[in-house]
Amino acid sequence: MSTIDSPVDAAAGTVDVVKIYGSGDAAVTALDHVTVDFATGRFTAIMGPSGSGKSTLMHCIAGLDEVTSGTVRIGDTRLADLNDRQLTELRRTQVGFIFQAFNLIPTLTAEENIVLPLTLGGRSPDREWFDTVVDTVGLRDRLRHRPSELSGGQQQRVAVARALASRPTIIFADEPTGNLDSNSGTEILSFMRRAVDEFGQTIVMVTHDPNAAAYADRVVFLADGRIVADMDDPTAAKVLDTMKSLGS
Amino acid sequence: MFTLVLRGVRAHLGRLILTLISVVLGVAFVSGSFVLADSLRSIFDQVSEDAFAGVDAQVRAVEPDLNSSQADALRFDDGIIEAIRSLPEADAVEGGLFAFEKTYTVDASGEVVRPLGPPVFTGSWDGPSPVSSFTLLEGEAPTGQQVALDRPQVEAGGFVVGEELTISLPTGEPEQFVLSGIIDFGEGGTGGAFFVLFDLPTAQRVLLADGLVDSIVVAAAEGVSPDELVTAISAVLPDGLEAVTGDVVIGEQQEEFGSFISIFGNVLLGFAVVVLFVSTFIIHNTFATLVGQRTRQYGLLRSIGASGAQIRRMVLLEAGAVGVAASGIGLLGGLGVAAGLKALFSTSGGEFPDGPLEIRTRTIIVVVIVGMVVTLASALLPALRASAVSPLEAFRSGGRRPRSLTFRLVVGSAVTVPGLLALGVGMFGDAGSTSATLALIGVGGALTFIGVSMLSAMFAGPVASAIGAPIARLRGVSGQIARGNASRNPQRTSSTATALMIGLALITGVAVLTQSILDTFDEILTESVSADLFVFEANQGLEFSGLVPDQLRELPEVDAVSGFASVQARIDGEVRSVTGFDSDSGTAVVNMGIVEGTAEIGPDGIAVIDTVAETEGIALGDALSVEFEDGFSTTVEVRGIYDDAAIIGADWLLDRSLTRAHVTVDDVTLVGLTFAEGADPVAARTAVEGITGRFPQLSVQDNTEFREEAEGQIAQLQVVITGLLVLCLVVAFFGIVNTMALAVLERTREIGLLRAVGMTRRQLQSSVRWEAAIISLFGSLLGVVLGLLLGWAAVIAIPDTFVNQVGIPWGQLVAYFVVGGLLGVVAAWFPARRAARLDVLDAISTD
Repeated sequence: MSTIDSPVDAAAGTVDVVKIYGSGDAAVTALDHVTVDFATGRFTAIMGPSGSGKSTLMHCIAGLDEVTSGTVRIGDTRLADLNDRQLTELRRTQVGFIFQAFNLIPTLTAEENIVLPLTLGGRSPDREWFDTVVDTVGLRDRLRHRPSELSGGQQQRVAVARALASRPTIIFADEPTGNLDSNSGTEILSFMRRAVDEFGQTIVMVTHDPNAAAYADRVVFLADGRIVADMDDPTAAKVLDTMKSLGS
Repeated sequence: MFTLVLRGVRAHLGRLILTLISVVLGVAFVSGSFVLADSLRSIFDQVSEDAFAGVDAQVRAVEPDLNSSQADALRFDDGIIEAIRSLPEADAVEGGLFAFEKTYTVDASGEVVRPLGPPVFTGSWDGPSPVSSFTLLEGEAPTGQQVALDRPQVEAGGFVVGEELTISLPTGEPEQFVLSGIIDFGEGGTGGAFFVLFDLPTAQRVLLADGLVDSIVVAAAEGVSPDELVTAISAVLPDGLEAVTGDVVIGEQQEEFGSFISIFGNVLLGFAVVVLFVSTFIIHNTFATLVGQRTRQYGLLRSIGASGAQIRRMVLLEAGAVGVAASGIGLLGGLGVAAGLKALFSTSGGEFPDGPLEIRTRTIIVVVIVGMVVTLASALLPALRASAVSPLEAFRSGGRRPRSLTFRLVVGSAVTVPGLLALGVGMFGDAGSTSATLALIGVGGALTFIGVSMLSAMFAGPVASAIGAPIARLRGVSGQIARGNASRNPQRTSSTATALMIGLALITGVAVLTQSILDTFDEILTESVSADLFVFEANQGLEFSGLVPDQLRELPEVDAVSGFASVQARIDGEVRSVTGFDSDSGTAVVNMGIVEGTAEIGPDGIAVIDTVAETEGIALGDALSVEFEDGFSTTVEVRGIYDDAAIIGADWLLDRSLTRAHVTVDDVTLVGLTFAEGADPVAARTAVEGITGRFPQLSVQDNTEFREEAEGQIAQLQVVITGLLVLCLVVAFFGIVNTMALAVLERTREIGLLRAVGMTRRQLQSSVRWEAAIISLFGSLLGVVLGLLLGWAAVIAIPDTFVNQVGIPWGQLVAYFVVGGLLGVVAAWFPARRAARLDVLDAISTD
């Protein structure tokens, strides 16, 4: 597997990806010839109604799920070429994850959770970068706490910090604010925004909240496994309008 | 409702099967103990019936309270045979003489032919008759200088009928006999024992029992009932003899065998109970975890109208299903266990007679009850907990709230303290009877284990964390996660560890006790023994001819010789075990620790141990009356008080010239001797072996050999006991498998997350294995420490004559600790693999 020393235009992308679950009569097409690129240093939101394939798309690009046909690429690595061990290493070094809930290992402290992808790879964290990340998400005084001692918002901040800590090529966030009250949600979204603006981090976020999507640079709309709209510089109102037009 | 239970069982089949295995092991052991004991009992019942098949009456000596012979029946004058033969009520009459381990056939290479466990019987045989226990398979009955042997012995010695062979005799002068025929005992074989049969006069001659028999068997004449026969015979019998019917004899024999088999069966049952006890922890643990995982489901059921009692019934029904299945499989498994145990004991010497394995109705009932009760009782607490789930739990996430430390401390102590008290009273106090003592030790031990298990939950977290610290440091993040997981659910960690703890505690206790016995033995040999050589029967520690010391005394290479004979005598009105020794030379071979007076008591003196002298107020110079089994009575003077009975084995010492004159069989159990001054030890030993060679059952050993032999035997016993206790470890092993499988399942999402953020399968596997290792090392630690305490307590509780010091086998303790840890690693193999194979995406999206 190759690593990327100089950024390319697209941090990740797909070409003609098809994903079919099941077979025969029971076959369901979750992704239907999807071709999309996620530009480096940009914050992209993927939106769409339930069952539109947005989560499937994210799982396929992140190397968590296999595609039926087509190509998926992270950096300049084609995922189809990798075996399980290499995929794991790719996830550890080039991908960051923020899930909706249950993001942290309960037996590890906040700090241990943040550096988990690094320690798993036997690397020690870059102290300066770690401090930057921790200060960005405002967790300095919570580092020694266990997840059970943190609020939901704080837990998600740890998750954001963990995703940033290894300076991955791309971060995938799956409904990161879905379980949070609106204040905490706003906080998390601003942190993600700052990561893109200040550190040039690439983020792809799956959401169905137009207000969350408004934090992104671009919104890709999915319906029935196809990309049906692509919007730059979204606002909550514009996103809502597009959703309404797609929903009808 | 029943459907829900069925679905539940099906959904958790894998876990329940693991639980099932732990119950099955215990139940199968219970069933096997019963089956084996029952089968042996019916076989021996049959043997007794065969042996006395044609016997209507038997004449024998009335058992007196003084009988120094431990194995042989009391002998009486054979003159009465003719009187009985002349009775019109009697048909066939045969007088018989039997002796235990007295004569041996010798094969062509000069080796004694004998079985490894069962005895060799010497006896008289008049030939086939309705009253005879023997049947002729080949050749003829022996007369004069002839002998008849059983088939296994003939094969072992490579003899053929008509051949002249050598037989060693108690006289010390082996003789040549012609093999006249091959016999069988009853119809069913000899049960491993060997028989050496002569005609009555020859048997009397070689057994040094001229004119004596120990039994007369009689068949009734046509039309005479056994009771009429007994009445007729009784009329002609002198005092001291009695006549009983054949049925009485058979009944007595069966009872005697039966009680022996019961002891054997109860020992096996004891092990089975321990195994079952260990499995209760596994069952409890499984159901507690299952209930915990299903809290939300129970909450949902409650919110749609199920009552707490219904929930409780659901859990108990599920446990009942496991119990029923386990009982059924265990019952059949018992056949395998019985067959296995039979094979095991057969290879180690004692050959069990052939016969079918028997499952009695009683066995089925007991096994089913045991299986059900154990399973239901273990699932009771989890079931109560499930029924207490409130409907609100359906809407709450998160698991059970852990019990408070105070709760554990209070309940744990409330169980441990009475447990320790019962254990203490059982071991050190006086419970009144053996069974009460055993019950106290058993219940006390069980309560202690349960209590320690509850208390251990209090420190399972920190201790597991401490054990895990070096692992976390060495194994990086896998170790760190393993450590965190091992200490996150102290209740589960401690009950999994407890299963291992019990097995290891018992094994360690046995090891400590064994080491202590060995150390004590060492000390005895160093302090109490001054003999250059010992002569004894090494195989079973049997008595042998009292002529041996006499013959050894003749050797110029030998200085002091003393025989030690075990005798029953009535001293001042009470029957006592007395050791007869050659008081003129006894102190040269054994140091009995004379406190007052002398060991050279002479034929009219007696020595007594200090403790008895004190409690009975006996002092030097006192005159005591002594009566022997032949009715002879005399007065002896107390001439010595001693304090070390380690070799002597009795509280009273008399001179052997006195004891041997008044017992039917002049035997000794041990001879000690020293070499003459200036004698070459090698030549002296050769000379001694020249004498003992006439008694091929005897061994000659010096102090070192004696010690090694005894140590070997003690170690062998430890191996057997440990072997049975290993079953507890097997159950504990399945417990660890189960716990780890449940833990992996419970943490599916966590595992998915770890894999998503880049943990490799290998790292994941390693973290599960290390977690198991930490849990089992915790159990091993508890087990070894507790075992150390148990062994130490046992040493204190057992009389000092057997053990007087605590020996700690450090090497073994470390080995057990390590083995415990390895057990965990191996047990985690399957759950770890399963964890590693989880699909990342499925795992993350699991509820």
